[in-house]
Amino acid sequence: MDTFLNLWQDSGLYQITGGQFTMILVGFALLFLAVRKSFEPLLLVPIGFGCVLANIPGAGLALSAVENALYAADPQVLAAMAGALGSGALESAAELLYAYENAGSGARLAVRQIAADAGFSNGMLYSFYHVTIASGVAPLVIFMGVGAMTDFGPLLANPKTLFLGAAAQFGIFSTVLGAVALSAAGLMDFSVADAAAIGIIGGADGPTAIYVSSLLAPELLGAIAVAAYSYMALVPVIQPPIMRALTSEKERAITMTQLRRVSQREKIVFPLVLLVLVALFLPTAAPLLGMFCLGNLMRECGVVDRLSDTAQNALINITTIFLGLSVGSKLAADKFLDPKTLGILLLGIVAFAIGTACGVLMAKLMNRFSKTPINPLIGSAGVSAVPMAARVSNKVGLEANPQNFLLMHAMGPNVAGVIGSAVAAGVMISMVSGMGIS
Amino acid sequence: MQDSLLQQGVDLMLLGMGTVFVFLTLLVIATTLMSAVTRRYFPEPEPELAKKPAPATAAATVDARLLAVIKAAIDRHRSGK
Repeated sequence: MDTFLNLWQDSGLYQITGGQFTMILVGFALLFLAVRKSFEPLLLVPIGFGCVLANIPGAGLALSAVENALYAADPQVLAAMAGALGSGALESAAELLYAYENAGSGARLAVRQIAADAGFSNGMLYSFYHVTIASGVAPLVIFMGVGAMTDFGPLLANPKTLFLGAAAQFGIFSTVLGAVALSAAGLMDFSVADAAAIGIIGGADGPTAIYVSSLLAPELLGAIAVAAYSYMALVPVIQPPIMRALTSEKERAITMTQLRRVSQREKIVFPLVLLVLVALFLPTAAPLLGMFCLGNLMRECGVVDRLSDTAQNALINITTIFLGLSVGSKLAADKFLDPKTLGILLLGIVAFAIGTACGVLMAKLMNRFSKTPINPLIGSAGVSAVPMAARVSNKVGLEANPQNFLLMHAMGPNVAGVIGSAVAAGVMISMVSGMGIS
Repeated sequence: MQDSLLQQGVDLMLLGMGTVFVFLTLLVIATTLMSAVTRRYFPEPEPELAKKPAPATAAATVDARLLAVIKAAIDRHRSGK
């Protein structure tokens, strides 16, 4: 009878909490969106599955060894830990965890040693998270792959389009203000670091958003990553109404002059120029833009095709699997089922809409003063989301004028948006850590 | 405290947006300069030039063979008459 009772107490059915059950449903919802609706399936399949895995009751896949030991609640281990932390032996697991998180490094080390000695180990997803995201490695490797996939030709043929990439970043910074205003009004409780990490969703660049929030607001990472990737998938739904509202039929029909041919040598020198500028003016953006430039140089220089091929195929795919699972591991019930998540989703879509609008308005302004005509529709591609945003510009352009192919013209602002959001990320990181609140 | 939080947000927005614009403006200038220098002093040989002779000769050989066939056909036609 005792064995039977143990088996029952070990089962998921006995241990599951309402929060875990809800999060497993959220995981299935993400899988449904990915499989059935093709929402960024490359990321949402691992994220959704990671979310389900992380919330399996009793398995503790997303927990550290210490947390696993505390939840297992072996009285001897708990007593030893309480001793190491210098607190009373009768404290509950939750109180011990709180004491552990606020303890000095020596006591923490001792507690970790006790957990290891008792045979507890880090959960699988916890280890993935530490290797890929906490170290910052995975978003950077993905950025290298994105660099290796990016063709700067359209941008080099028309460098002015970089301004469109800059204008679209206004969405990021206005959202920071929105998040701060929400907490000033007492509706939410976001610090400046949180606000900065949320704003980056407006950059519509998954790896950048994950990188920034892993540095500034790790506890919001799950919600931020899910919001960023969902909105990237929703680009074709969110952007067109904004684009149509801000432009006239005549403006949308503007045909642009054919782009000039860009030589191989210009394409090779460009990543080096960008790298030098980053080194001189914005070293905090160096991890992101440095890897991006490396990937792009490997693509364009023509002598390391094997490396370039690996960076844009095998390596980025491997990294995506582990990145997705790690993001999923951050979708634990106690962190995700929080009014803050709702705030993040709401602010994210506002960031996105403002970015789109600013890009279009900037393009209209440039069209006023430029010698060659500029179709305002390409401005919306200034939020990164490569190449989806450029395709949307092309599609809306074709509706107004069936002979007008804007795709190549929109690729310029599109890759400029990637550079712009990486620059914005660097600025955020340096300013927020400069304020000393991160 | 609340005021200073809002103040920090405004600072972050103005300085951040300013930095992004200044940096990308510099990048536009640097890129334009780089393109001008590269195109002026290190122009690449036009790839079209290398390609042109090949199709020209191919067309010529086809023409020659076709010419011979046509000639033969005409000759036969005439001798047949």
